[in-house]
Amino acid sequence: MQEVVVLGVGMHRFGKTGDDIVGTKSVKALCHEAVVGALKDAGVAWKQIEAVAAASSRFSGGKGWGLNGNDVVEDLGSTGIPVYNMSAGCAAGGNAFNVGYSMVAGGVYDMMLVVGGEVMPKGMIQTSGVEEATDPEFLRQRCIGMPGPSFWSTLARRRMFEYGTTEEQFSQVAVKARKCSVHNPNARFQKEITVEDVMASPYVSNPLRLFQICPVSNGAAAAIICSAEKAKQFTSKPVTVATSTVATMTFDDALPRALADPIPSTPSLHTEAQNAVKTAFEKSGIGPQDVSFTELQDNTCYYELAFPEEWGLCEAGQSESLLLAGETAPTGRMPINPSGGFVSFGEATTAMGVFQIAELTWQLRGQAGGRQVPDAKVGLAQTLGLGGNATAAILKR
Amino acid sequence: MSEERVPCVEGLFSEEGGAKLHGAKCTSCGTPYFPKPTACHNPDCEESNIEDIDFGGNGVLWSYSVADFPPPPPHIFDKPFAPYAMGVVDMECGLRLIGQMVDKPEDVKVGAKVELVIEPLYHEDDKTFTSWKFKQL
Ligand SMILES: [Zn+2]
Repeated sequence: MQEVVVLGVGMHRFGKTGDDIVGTKSVKALCHEAVVGALKDAGVAWKQIEAVAAASSRFSGGKGWGLNGNDVVEDLGSTGIPVYNMSAGCAAGGNAFNVGYSMVAGGVYDMMLVVGGEVMPKGMIQTSGVEEATDPEFLRQRCIGMPGPSFWSTLARRRMFEYGTTEEQFSQVAVKARKCSVHNPNARFQKEITVEDVMASPYVSNPLRLFQICPVSNGAAAAIICSAEKAKQFTSKPVTVATSTVATMTFDDALPRALADPIPSTPSLHTEAQNAVKTAFEKSGIGPQDVSFTELQDNTCYYELAFPEEWGLCEAGQSESLLLAGETAPTGRMPINPSGGFVSFGEATTAMGVFQIAELTWQLRGQAGGRQVPDAKVGLAQTLGLGGNATAAILKR
Repeated sequence: MSEERVPCVEGLFSEEGGAKLHGAKCTSCGTPYFPKPTACHNPDCEESNIEDIDFGGNGVLWSYSVADFPPPPPHIFDKPFAPYAMGVVDMECGLRLIGQMVDKPEDVKVGAKVELVIEPLYHEDDKTFTSWKFKQL
């Protein structure tokens, strides 16, 4: 195995179709800016890229077949290099990073581009368009009728029941996130908000409110990764990839994902995320106590409270007190989402895994400005995708 | 007015002789399923043996959410839209099952004992289309 490093990262600021940030830009145009930024950051020419691992989108670009990596290569110059288009729902960006990492680690290529970009459709995402009695998503909608966010609000309400979490505490997570976003030029929302603002926003799915759930966004992120040996030609201080993992859910998973599942013997929710993160700890020899900060997939503020506990970053039921004590802020003991997170960016689904790699890299280089985690040495990233997909990555300096 | 009651999806459940979900159970490892799977999903199961079995009875509400707005198609609902709660219930039969609540959202309580019922979901073409729901006891 070769040691793998992140040589350069780039991002297109996240926005909403029609706004001043992304306007009507295509996913190709968004990716273009992210990739050119990453190449420049790395000091690498396009022709030096040996292969591309791209997140595959079902929403935009990619010739309607999820061939988003091919679009990027055509756009930057058809050099004939291999392209891998990875599909894993919202975990696709993390998946693409893992494929790039694995190939460089395995010595197949020395220098790769990892990229994810998205232009999202308006309104609620339909997970399935199929009208067949054999399709579980069709059955959920026809027999019950479950708007997308109801999945998250069910989990949030269970946490309220188990730990006495309040709606104000969910709101505090959003307040903390937006405080970070003020210092992130790539965030879609960059204004501070108060608990009162969050509590005044309407319920999207009771008990979760508009400001506690990430909207969909357009955006793109890219990373240039290479072997540590190769990196010596470009920099003396690369960011090292300690590990990258992919996992799926296990049978004992306790989440109500379909119509019915066996009552689980363990309380584990989101086993795919837990599997990815725990495997990352095992493979890297880095433990929860070594993590300087975490970028996790906060589709809703609930996850910022639940995930650190499930992964052993803190004790079960401890997240609320850590949050209220300011320990999850960049300057705290357990910083979570110093970027501002999905709640400040919105989710450009397949870009998110690469977006996290970019934030980890900036943090570990000490380039994160007002949201900098002091003396950040180790960063943990995690994504989650439809179908029981998850990824994790640990970067260190 | 005696409208015909029809299941919103054929073959999944019935109400004659009490509310019943038509599911399955693996006789090797005892895992219950709804709907019936092609094979047992338990990786520790030695040999998949799926047999038809009906589920009904009571359970405890694990959690719930509320639909304040109409869900997108293929959901069908009577207009005007009335908000409803969706329960996740740990059934005595061993299933963690989701379904609409009969009870008004403001009355629903996590930890409540519930029973499985078949109730109207929407009306179309002079027919009443039904689904399984939960009712707090
Ligand atoms: Zn079995």
